[in-house]
Amino acid sequence: MKILLVLALLMSALFAQVKKDEPIAVPYISYNIKMGKGFEAVQANCLTCHSFGYIENQGPQSKEFWDAKVVKMIEHFKAPMTKEDTTTVIDYLYKHYGNGKLK
Amino acid sequence: MKRRDFFKTSLVAASALSVPTFANAAGQPKDDQVISDLAFPEKRPMITYSDRPPLLESPRATFAKPITANDEFFVRWHMPEIPTYVDPNTFKIKISGLVDKEFELTLENLKHDYEQVEVTAVLQCGGNSRSAFSPVAGGIQWGSGAMGCAKWKGVRLRDILHRAGLKKNAHWIGFNGLETAAYYETPNFIRELQIDELDDHVIVAYEMNDEDLPYLNGYPVRLVIPGTYSDSWVKMLSEIRVTEEYEKLFFMDVAYRVPDNETESETPEKKYPRTKPITKMNVKSVIGYPETGTKVQNGSHVVVRGVAFDDGTGITGVHVSIDNGKTWERALLDKNNAGRYSFRGWRLAIKPKDYGKLKIMAKAINRAGEEQPFAKDIGWNHGGYKYNGIDEVTVEVV
Repeated sequence: MKILLVLALLMSALFAQVKKDEPIAVPYISYNIKMGKGFEAVQANCLTCHSFGYIENQGPQSKEFWDAKVVKMIEHFKAPMTKEDTTTVIDYLYKHYGNGKLK
Repeated sequence: MKRRDFFKTSLVAASALSVPTFANAAGQPKDDQVISDLAFPEKRPMITYSDRPPLLESPRATFAKPITANDEFFVRWHMPEIPTYVDPNTFKIKISGLVDKEFELTLENLKHDYEQVEVTAVLQCGGNSRSAFSPVAGGIQWGSGAMGCAKWKGVRLRDILHRAGLKKNAHWIGFNGLETAAYYETPNFIRELQIDELDDHVIVAYEMNDEDLPYLNGYPVRLVIPGTYSDSWVKMLSEIRVTEEYEKLFFMDVAYRVPDNETESETPEKKYPRTKPITKMNVKSVIGYPETGTKVQNGSHVVVRGVAFDDGTGITGVHVSIDNGKTWERALLDKNNAGRYSFRGWRLAIKPKDYGKLKIMAKAINRAGEEQPFAKDIGWNHGGYKYNGIDEVTVEVV
């Protein structure tokens, strides 16, 4: 019985993929960020909570789409953005990740 | 030629295929994503959308097999801060609220004090295949790989609640995990289940395919709710709280909801006022082999393979068409069915008879007679949830 227990403990140790006494390291990805007016506001307000991948992955979108996205971040996720930054960020997103349509 | 190169040379053709052309409906999900050359911890390189939080998608080839390997299993977190270290010796799940006895569960308790159970079940993001919707529905533009199927081992939630002793007025159970937001005011990713919704298949799992859960899939324990979309499968589960009243929560009340009408659809101009949670998964199949761009030889047999699943009702058939959906042939379903919540593997040998492009389509049907619709017949919804259009790949016959 004791041997079985030891064996079971050994087995469970073998199953662990990573050493459980040290943290995992999540890699950083370098995104191909389009620099320009307003990026500082994006960095300060958006990238605090999520990577640039979230922005890039939406594909080219309308002004209304980006507006709604930013409003969602403020209303639902409680991003503490100033009115000025809100406008700046929406303009940046539409300029660099826009599809040319307002709606 | 490598898959990636194929797409470089036929970029125009590929994007023409993947861009849906129907207004307020769906086309095929994106199928030309690049597999990153950067591997995340305990994972092999996957389709990578984000590092903070980590968002990784399984490539199509994953679905040629009915069990998804842990290092290929998709990853989706909601908050920027995910714990990168959990001490298995001190980790505890707190059980509190309307119970006779509040207590804390260690991993040791879970593994030794309860009956150990296993369930093989599909874990699928409600937004899987979202990129099929047009106009673009907000959210991560997943292809078809925000899903996977694993054998989960753990303890029945019901047994844990039984030990705690539910009070008479207990109606709801809230689940919280260890991921945290950057701002204190951001709502936590808490989910709630009604006690009536619980069955014996709902487990608190600490093993996935006979291994510890990978960190990025919720080490050391996550909730497993077979048949339902993954939004309620709380990762790094740290708190189970029993309440009488439903608590208002962003991730229950705003996110992961679809229009509450028969077709679960709406238009961007006129969103449907009433919504409901996504909960049960609809019938779906995905082709794992071949892939778009695969070159196959004219006149030689190609064994098409894939997986099919639903909410546990049970897959009864998968049908394959190579003539644009005019005629369908029944695929062979795998015998070793790991239970009604698992991926059901299927295969069918086809023999291309003409050179050039050949479209292969697959559709699943379940015990309730529900079958996958053509992509063009799927209505739009604002969150881009629950896409289950007939799957397609286009190979080159040479």
